[in-house]
Amino acid sequence: MKLFDRIRPAILNGLRELQANKIRSLLSMSGIILGVASLVAMVTVVQGMVGNFRQFVDAMGGIEKITVTREQLPKEQEHLAELSEGITMRDVERIRKTVSLVDNISPEARVGSERLIVEGRETSTYVTGVTADYLPVAKRWVDPGFGRFISDLDVLNMNDVIVLGSAVVPELFGANVDPVGKVIKIRGRRFTVIGILNNIEGSGMQIRSANSRSSGGSWRWRNSGALIPVSTAQAKFIGNDRLSGLGLRIGDAELLRDAVEQTERTILAGHKGLRDFAITTNEQVLEDFRKTEAAFKLSLGGVAGISLFVGGIGIMNVMLASINERIREIGVRKAVGARGSDLFLQFLSEAAVISVIGGLIGLVVSMGIVALMNYILMQALPTGAVATLDWLIMVQGLAFSVVVGLVAGVYPALRAASLDPIEALRHE
Amino acid sequence: MSALIAIRGLRKAYVMGDETVHALAGVDLDFQQGEFVAILGPSGSGKSTLMHILGFMDTPTEGSIVFDGQEVAKIEPDLRAWYRSNRVGFVFQSFNLLPRLTVLENVALPMLYRENSDPVANEAAATIALERVGMSHRLDHRPNQLSGGERQRVAIARAIVGSPSIIFADEPTGNLDVKNIDRILDLLGSLIKEGITVVLVTHDLAVAEKAHRVISMRAGLVQEDRTR
Ligand SMILES: Nc1ncnc2c1ncn2[C@@H]1O[C@H](COP(=O)(O)OP(=O)(O)OP(=O)(O)O)[C@@H](O)[C@H]1O
Ligand SMILES: [Mg+2]
Repeated sequence: MKLFDRIRPAILNGLRELQANKIRSLLSMSGIILGVASLVAMVTVVQGMVGNFRQFVDAMGGIEKITVTREQLPKEQEHLAELSEGITMRDVERIRKTVSLVDNISPEARVGSERLIVEGRETSTYVTGVTADYLPVAKRWVDPGFGRFISDLDVLNMNDVIVLGSAVVPELFGANVDPVGKVIKIRGRRFTVIGILNNIEGSGMQIRSANSRSSGGSWRWRNSGALIPVSTAQAKFIGNDRLSGLGLRIGDAELLRDAVEQTERTILAGHKGLRDFAITTNEQVLEDFRKTEAAFKLSLGGVAGISLFVGGIGIMNVMLASINERIREIGVRKAVGARGSDLFLQFLSEAAVISVIGGLIGLVVSMGIVALMNYILMQALPTGAVATLDWLIMVQGLAFSVVVGLVAGVYPALRAASLDPIEALRHE
Repeated sequence: MSALIAIRGLRKAYVMGDETVHALAGVDLDFQQGEFVAILGPSGSGKSTLMHILGFMDTPTEGSIVFDGQEVAKIEPDLRAWYRSNRVGFVFQSFNLLPRLTVLENVALPMLYRENSDPVANEAAATIALERVGMSHRLDHRPNQLSGGERQRVAIARAIVGSPSIIFADEPTGNLDVKNIDRILDLLGSLIKEGITVVLVTHDLAVAEKAHRVISMRAGLVQEDRTR
């Protein structure tokens, strides 16, 4: 409380000095303004990109997803190609029995791009055979009122049923038609539409994108395609019991490596040691992204750090100039009873006032920069990094500038404090 | 009655390369409460040096100063600052008012550096001090809007705002015309009635005439000490 009583007049005095030397003060603030603006803007934009990427990875199935795909045998096993059975439902059974870390297994049998025909209309889309486990693994669902998904019974009975991606529906049926119950022909076979997958853009996923043009390009594939029971796909289109791959979902992302290892050993054992499969995760993508993010933060942090450093020098410079001009004032204040610490506080407060005001202006500038960066990123990135200013970052930016101002003010303030009153008064 | 200030063997030496300047070469003096003292002497005789040391702005090289019963010749800077804001007032030839502050703020300045400083009380004290010097009609003016005589009255108000025991005035009338000199001297003279000791340095014999005691200095020593 007592300290505040001493600081309050010092702050008022600092404001008065600022007012008396507006242009000089503004110039001395320019470094701080740019430093805070770039710091806040950069952190915000990088955070926005990180957030967007997280959503992107999520849309890819998240990091709890393991993908098993068919793969060519490696060179040293090529002569054993005859023995390779590929990935089958037997692998699904084995994994289900032995790898307890895996919660859901989604076998997938790609039929390929097929013509879907209804009376008078047709469209081409990817058809894939799946089971009921597709939903939890792909993190998809069927919204209420849009039918149902493929069931275990559909798979067991090899039913000719089909679930459509939301983008396929208007192409086949036009707008405002409920397709559930309608019949679609694929290669002459009649499939009954039983449901529609959730629409990703319209859902709570909030993959924000630059504009409708680029969003159509990069995300429509998530809403296109058609799903049929895996057994139907194998028996009626593919003609064998092979799968194109498996999607596995584990409960705990921390145990991803263990799950991958156990899955690999299980499949390898079932395949008699043949490496005719590959296991991938989104971890590598995330890892790469983390590296990019770190590099971004480092270089942008460097830029902000340098401008704050320059800002600090600017403040120190103006404080020293100001003290030189006000040596007589310092002498007078000492002559009427000011201690060294009083003058130290006065000039330190002045530096703090400069840096706080500079920091506040910097925050305003950072808003402009973020808006500009958003605009540019929207043009450049398919996912569109939309960054929003976070008050916490702004507070941190301001705190940063105050620290810089205080550090820069210490030396000038010490000089003012140590001036001899007689000599100061003699100064012209 | 014991003296307000008792000085014994006071020396101040400035070493300039090989040469040593003895600004004060052994001064013995006593100042009583309520005295009006003028110090005369040629330029360079050590008048200002003595005032600065007695005003707690400088320290002697040697000697003893007993102020109100306390030995203060070699005290810490912060304690000297305390004496400056609580026990002594200083008036300069060149006024030394702060140009950015108003008259009221200038006068309240010494109060700012006291412990338990309170803005409202400071302002009240400054207002009273300005009334005493007849400047209460200029509270919100800046120093550069005042005449020289008015500025010196404001400076005196600043010196008395904290009710000091003693006021040191180093050629307070040096920059003023005759009419203003009289006014300032009357003002300083009136302080004595309140028990404040006034010590002023002057080159002007007419000014010294007003004092009750005239001390003449030469080459850092007291040459003559005359009480009328
Ligand atoms: N900081 C200093 N360094 C060196 N010498 C000094 C310093 N201050 C004062 N002196 C010397 O000490 C002597 C006394 O100076 P002082 O200012 O006390 O004289 P004065 O009597 O006040 O003179 P004036 O009437 O001209 O004001 C002078 O010779 C001066 O040159
Ligand atoms: Mg002098």
